[in-house]
Amino acid sequence: MVAEKELIAKIKELKQIKPNPDWASLVKSQILAKGDYSIPEKAPSSGKENVLSLFFSKFFFQPRLKPVFAFSLTLFLFLGLFGFAQHTVPGDFLYPLKKITEQGREFFVSRDDLPKVQLEMANKRLEELTQIVKKNEVKKLAPAINEFHANVEKAAKTLANSTSSNPEHIKALVNETQKIKEQKEKVESMGVVLGETKELDSALSQLAEQELKRFEGQILTDDQEELLKQANKYYKEKNYARALEVILQMSYPQQ
Amino acid sequence: MKHLQESFSKIYDQYIEKIYRFVFLKVNSQDIAQDITSETFLRCWQAYQKNNPNNEIKNVSAFLYKIARNLVIDHYREKGRTDVVSVDFVTLNDQKPGLEEKIAINSELEQMKTAISKLRDDYQNIIIWYYLEEMSVPEIAQMLGKTEQATRVMIHRALKSLKGHFGQV
Repeated sequence: MVAEKELIAKIKELKQIKPNPDWASLVKSQILAKGDYSIPEKAPSSGKENVLSLFFSKFFFQPRLKPVFAFSLTLFLFLGLFGFAQHTVPGDFLYPLKKITEQGREFFVSRDDLPKVQLEMANKRLEELTQIVKKNEVKKLAPAINEFHANVEKAAKTLANSTSSNPEHIKALVNETQKIKEQKEKVESMGVVLGETKELDSALSQLAEQELKRFEGQILTDDQEELLKQANKYYKEKNYARALEVILQMSYPQQ
Repeated sequence: MKHLQESFSKIYDQYIEKIYRFVFLKVNSQDIAQDITSETFLRCWQAYQKNNPNNEIKNVSAFLYKIARNLVIDHYREKGRTDVVSVDFVTLNDQKPGLEEKIAINSELEQMKTAISKLRDDYQNIIIWYYLEEMSVPEIAQMLGKTEQATRVMIHRALKSLKGHFGQV
């Protein structure tokens, strides 16, 4: 076994291992000739950041595309606002935007379907009222009730001017009227006084009368005669929606 | 920039032999030792520029050895992934009769190299640093992240282990 001193001496002889001087010199000059690394490199960004920075660099920093970008951004914000406004209730800041959307919808609806659409709006007002009552937002009650009445008046006016005798239209009107009646009762059971919807009743009365007159003088079956009697009875009781339901049965006899 | 180049040039001159020797003893190939050594100094130069003039690299020696150790580890890790090649197709890494070839002729030196290569990695390092490069115990302790006492113990054990391997070669 070699002595420790001898071993250490042999270790030190490995100092003879040296790099080729030409190689060392070449490497040194190559390394020092490399680019300036004093500018810190940017940390690799997430894919999301790269996409965003690319998007903005393409649009934001190109002068000729700025108007396009500005328009797109405005449109996006506008649509976003309208989308958010759909969840508002009377008394909210963005509620007028919701009304504008609903009014815009009416432009695309036929004259015969308009009363039904407007009654749907009135039903929506009752739904909003229900939300307000549940959340106990007392300050919003008055505007919500006013909105409901405004919608009902509007629907009633349209209905009164309508001349359609199409059973499908009448059926849709009856359905919406029934929904309003049920919703109204529900809201009133929560302690909210909504008052009467005289304009709607008046419009329905007019429609029911118009339909009853249509069947007078016609040759009817026994069943139809019976239904007509029922319809008249409901009409006299001022239950115009029910009268119209019975009249519909005359138009579409149930088998 | 010029100032940095000058100061780094001095660092390069001071450590190029030590780092090369350190790597060569671990990989036993001139070409690979050259590649790893040049990469070590390149990375150090990059860090040197980034950290200057505000935060200088405090211990350049430790920094260089750390880079070199990691590159050697990477080399062996990569080597482990390569396919086994038939002995018939193995070519010599170094065709030129460099100084390393002359050393290889010296059998005792070759024995020492072989004995060191058989040591575990931390013993190799400590033998090279303490006996070959004559670094101080505090210096080595700092690099290893150990106490001086633990480092002394480790030096003693490394030498003992080397003695055992050298005797077998």
